[in-house]
Amino acid sequence: MIHYLRIWLAGARYSVVRSMMFRGDFIMWGLVELFWMFVNIVAIAVIYQHTDSIAGWSKYEMLLLLGTSMLVQRMLMGFFWSNLFELGRNIRSGYFDFFLAQPGHPLFMVSTRKIDLDSLLNIFVALAIVIYAARELGLDPSFGSLAAYALFVICGLILSYSMLLIVVSISFWTIGSQGMEGGYFTLAEFSRLPREAFSGVASVIFVWILPAVVISNAPARALISGFDLTSTLWILGATAVWLFIAITVFNRGLRRYNSASS
Amino acid sequence: MRLLFAKYRHVFNVGLQSNIVYRWNFAIRAAFSLVHIAFVFILWRAAYLGQDTIGGFSLDQTLTYFISLLVLQFFIGAFNEDYQISEEIRNGLINQFLLKPINYFVYRFTIFISARLVSGLLALVPIILVLPLLGEHLTFPDESWRLLVGLPAILMSALIQFSIAYIFGMLTFWFLEIQSFVILSMAIESVLGGQIFPLDLLPESIFRISQFLPYYYQMYFPAAILTGRIGEAAAIEGLFIQAFWVIVLLGIGQLLWQRGLRRHTAVGG
Repeated sequence: MIHYLRIWLAGARYSVVRSMMFRGDFIMWGLVELFWMFVNIVAIAVIYQHTDSIAGWSKYEMLLLLGTSMLVQRMLMGFFWSNLFELGRNIRSGYFDFFLAQPGHPLFMVSTRKIDLDSLLNIFVALAIVIYAARELGLDPSFGSLAAYALFVICGLILSYSMLLIVVSISFWTIGSQGMEGGYFTLAEFSRLPREAFSGVASVIFVWILPAVVISNAPARALISGFDLTSTLWILGATAVWLFIAITVFNRGLRRYNSASS
Repeated sequence: MRLLFAKYRHVFNVGLQSNIVYRWNFAIRAAFSLVHIAFVFILWRAAYLGQDTIGGFSLDQTLTYFISLLVLQFFIGAFNEDYQISEEIRNGLINQFLLKPINYFVYRFTIFISARLVSGLLALVPIILVLPLLGEHLTFPDESWRLLVGLPAILMSALIQFSIAYIFGMLTFWFLEIQSFVILSMAIESVLGGQIFPLDLLPESIFRISQFLPYYYQMYFPAAILTGRIGEAAAIEGLFIQAFWVIVLLGIGQLLWQRGLRRHTAVGG
């Protein structure tokens, strides 16, 4: 365990040094992310000029949901995104060999090589949005619901990571899965919508089969209306199942990997 | 003149062939766009709950707007033209054009047209497949002037889309990496171009300001004409402002090309 922590710290240190070397880049990318977050807030502001509720959610409840969705997404971006994104390419190019020779489980090594400092900084912006929305709503969450919020956000992060890992692992079987990663953003859009807006087939797909909606709704609900046992069991179960599937798919792919020529 | 046409006709054919190679990429992209339409559908249906109109338009009118936007995107939107141009400059591939009687802008624009022809037609396939589901929500106005004004608006939108991508590509002469510029401008475009919400839902004064910016004419303008979101007077006025932006953007592109070439050292040539 300490061994892995030290490997992770070494990677983190390297990433920080690298960001500081390319300061202009770091600032520019931080701004880009900040701007995209702003775009989503503008969208909510404009829609609520014309309506009082979206599927029963008030303006600030929606903002809290959006902030939570951003929080999970920024954490995914900060810790895992570029690592997993490169995994697909590395499998195709054969550069993945390099990770097999490293002192740790290949999945750990490929997932944690780098961190993105700009995304990690924007985690604080997302948190600020959540806190602002909670204040506007006059929420006074108990320690229990705060703990549930934190736990569910972590679950959301693991769920997002698992889904992304499964998509990227397809590269072990096919060469042509480029562009599939873009599907993540399409799916992540749904995590900005309230659970109550889904009905029928859409509910089956986006809530039950692909837990995109649960990622943000479970924590936001916990903060707004408090701790609830059913949803806790549901999100913990879903997280365990998805992580298990993702690790299995990755390991199967790993067994199939036989490097690339030249 | 005929010679000129023949020259770029070959470019067009080559562009057509090289883009058909990427047919699966376009098809996957189009499929993802349909998932995005599902998002739009769920969001706006929830927002319309308890009221028949938002900003004076019905739910079906708003959905028609977003679906039209999607189709237009595949026919006139710039995809990765900026990166392609940037690559050609960085790798020194543009050197060959400096020695031949080929205008680089016209060359790239011809390839852009052939690429959009392929991606546009491919995007129609999944849309036609789900038409039984979407069909009942599609509602277009039937005034004939909308087609008459809409067509030139679409063509000029294509020119604006491409010119902006071309300008970003030109930045490669000065900057090593243009990706962050492109993504930053994509964020601005997605709001002020009307891809997140129809611009007419903005407060009146901000909507008026947006009409003087080039983004308005990238996507929103032709889509709003065709789906009945703006009236005749506003459409005619828009055509003039749009033409103004086409000229300005073409000029900037040309200026950057000339200035850039002075800095260009023909690496790898």
